[in-house]
Amino acid sequence: MLVALLAVAIGATVLSGMVTVYYDIPRQMGQEFRSYGANLILVSSGDNPALSIEETERAKEYFPAGSVVGVAPYRYKTAKINEQPFMIAGTELSEAKKASPYWFVNGGWPESAGEALIGQEVADTIRLLPGGSFTLTGTSTDGGSFTRDFSVSGIIQTGGTEEAFIFMSLEDLDNLIGAGAFDVVECSISATEAELNNIAAQISENVPGVAPRLVKRVTQSEGAVLAKLQSLVYLVTAVVLLLTMICVATTMMAVVAERRREIGLKKALGAANKSIINEFLGEGVFLGGLGGLLGVALGFVFAQFVSVNVFHRSITLQPMLIPATLIMSFIITGLACLAPVRSATDVDPAIVLRGE
Amino acid sequence: MNLLEMKGVSKIYGNVHALQNIDLIVEQGEWLAIMGPSGSGKTTMMNIVGCMDKASRGSVILHGVNISQESAKNLTAIRRDKIGLIFQQFHLINYLTALENVMVAQYYHSIPDEAEALRSLERVGLKDRAKHLPSQLSGGEQQRVCIARALINYPMLILADEPTGNLDEANEKIVLDILKQLHKEGSTIIVVTHDPEVADEAQRTVVLEHGKIARIVRNNKEV
Repeated sequence: MLVALLAVAIGATVLSGMVTVYYDIPRQMGQEFRSYGANLILVSSGDNPALSIEETERAKEYFPAGSVVGVAPYRYKTAKINEQPFMIAGTELSEAKKASPYWFVNGGWPESAGEALIGQEVADTIRLLPGGSFTLTGTSTDGGSFTRDFSVSGIIQTGGTEEAFIFMSLEDLDNLIGAGAFDVVECSISATEAELNNIAAQISENVPGVAPRLVKRVTQSEGAVLAKLQSLVYLVTAVVLLLTMICVATTMMAVVAERRREIGLKKALGAANKSIINEFLGEGVFLGGLGGLLGVALGFVFAQFVSVNVFHRSITLQPMLIPATLIMSFIITGLACLAPVRSATDVDPAIVLRGE
Repeated sequence: MNLLEMKGVSKIYGNVHALQNIDLIVEQGEWLAIMGPSGSGKTTMMNIVGCMDKASRGSVILHGVNISQESAKNLTAIRRDKIGLIFQQFHLINYLTALENVMVAQYYHSIPDEAEALRSLERVGLKDRAKHLPSQLSGGEQQRVCIARALINYPMLILADEPTGNLDEANEKIVLDILKQLHKEGSTIIVVTHDPEVADEAQRTVVLEHGKIARIVRNNKEV
C-alpha cells in the first residue's frame, strides 16, 4: 500500500507541479521573450508623419498595468561627421535599454548630456572607440545649422541595423534640432499575441492618429514556442498520470491477491459484494486523498524548483490547483481500483477457504 | 420441525459427479455428523448447505427457503443471517484481535457490539484473551475464537468443517464440550469429520461414498 501511496503522491506531485508550470510558462516565457526586443510598434497614421507626446501617452493608457517592460520613443535625424552622413536617433535611453535588452554595449550607456552611443558600423567608419569624441553637424528643424561635440560612451553591437545609428538622449537631440514629435515608439509588453492584438485594436479604435503594429516575427514565434512547450508539459503529465494509474492498479491487484483468503472469509461471513467494493474503493479514495495532498505540497516545491532553475524566477501557488489535484488523484485511484475491485468481488469463498 | 431438507441433490463438475441424488432431512436442534473418505462429497455438501455453492439438480430447502434457486446475493444474505461457519483452519484475520475477529461477523450482519462479542468469547472461555492477536493464541484458542465468531449472530444452523482436525486431544475435548453445550441449548449442528470420536457425539451420522449416502448411523446403530 505504501508503494501505491507513493505512486499517487508522485503522480499528484508531477500533475500539480507541471500544471503550475503549464500555467506559469506564458508569464515566465513572456518575460524571457522580452529580451528579444519590442513586440509592438506605434507609428503615425494621420497626415502628420510623426506622433505627438500626447498621442503616445494616450496610446500607453491601453497597455495592461504591470506588463509594460519598456516604451522607447524615437526621433530620427540625419547629421554629418566629417562630412559623412549618419542617422541620429534620439530616445529615452533608460527605456531603450529596457525595450532592447539584447543590445550589447561595449563601454557604457550615456549618463550625461553630450554623451552618445554609436553603432559598430559608425565606429568602424569614423574609427572611434569608447571615450573618443566626434563633432556632429547638421540642420535643425527651423532651418538653422548646428555643430556640437559628443563623446562616445559606448559602441552598440546588435548584428542589425542599429549598428549604423548614433543614439543619444531625446534632450540632446531636441537641443540640436529643436523639440518635435516621435517618428516611432517601440514598445515591449509582456503579453501573448492575442492580448497584443487586442491592445492594438483598442488603440486603433480609440486613439486617432496612432497606428499600432505587431512585430510579427517576435509575437508569432513566441506563440508557437509557448504552444509547443505547453503541449510537451501536457503530454508528460498525461504519461505520468497513466503510469501512476498502472502502478496503483498493479499494487491494488497485488493487495487483492494477498488478501484473497480474507476476502473469501468476509464473504463467507456474509459480506455482500457491495461491502467488498466499498472497502477497496474506500482504501483507494484514502490513497487518492493522502497522495493528492502530498502531491499538492510536493508539486509546488517541484514547480518552484523547475521555475527557479529553468526560468530563474519564482512562481505563485494557484489556489484552484489544490482541489483540482485532489479530484484528479481521486479519479486516477478510482479508475485504478476498478480492475482490482472486480477481482475482489470474483473471489469464491468456497474455493479460497479450502485453500485452492 | 425440519430445518434442512435435501431432495435429489446432485452436484456435477464437468464429468465429475461430486454428489449424486442426495436425500436428507435435518431436524431443528439435531446434531448431524457427515463422514466419508476424501473425495466422497462432504465438502461439496457443506458448501451447498452453507450457501457457498449451488446444487446442479434437486432442491435444498433451508428453513423454508429453496436455496438452490436463490441468487448469489440472496445466498450471501441467508448465510449471514442463518448460518454460523466453523473452519478446520480457523480462518482468523491475523491483524485483528480475537475480539475484533468476532466483531467482523457482527459488522457484516448488523452493528458491531463489543459487549456482545465479549460475551461470545466468554461463552467459549476466552474473555481474558480478547485483546490477543491470533498469533498469540494456541490452535485450540483460535478454534474457540472461530466458534465465538460463528455464534455471535445467533445462527439457526452451525456448520463445522473438521472443527477438531487441527487440534490436540485436550483442545479437541474443549471444542467438543462447547459443541455439546450448544446442542444442549438447542442449536442445530452439522459437523463434517474424519474423526469417529467426534461423529460419536452426533445423534446421527451420514456416511458418504462417491457422492452418495452409503449408510446412516443413528445413536451408534446403523439404520
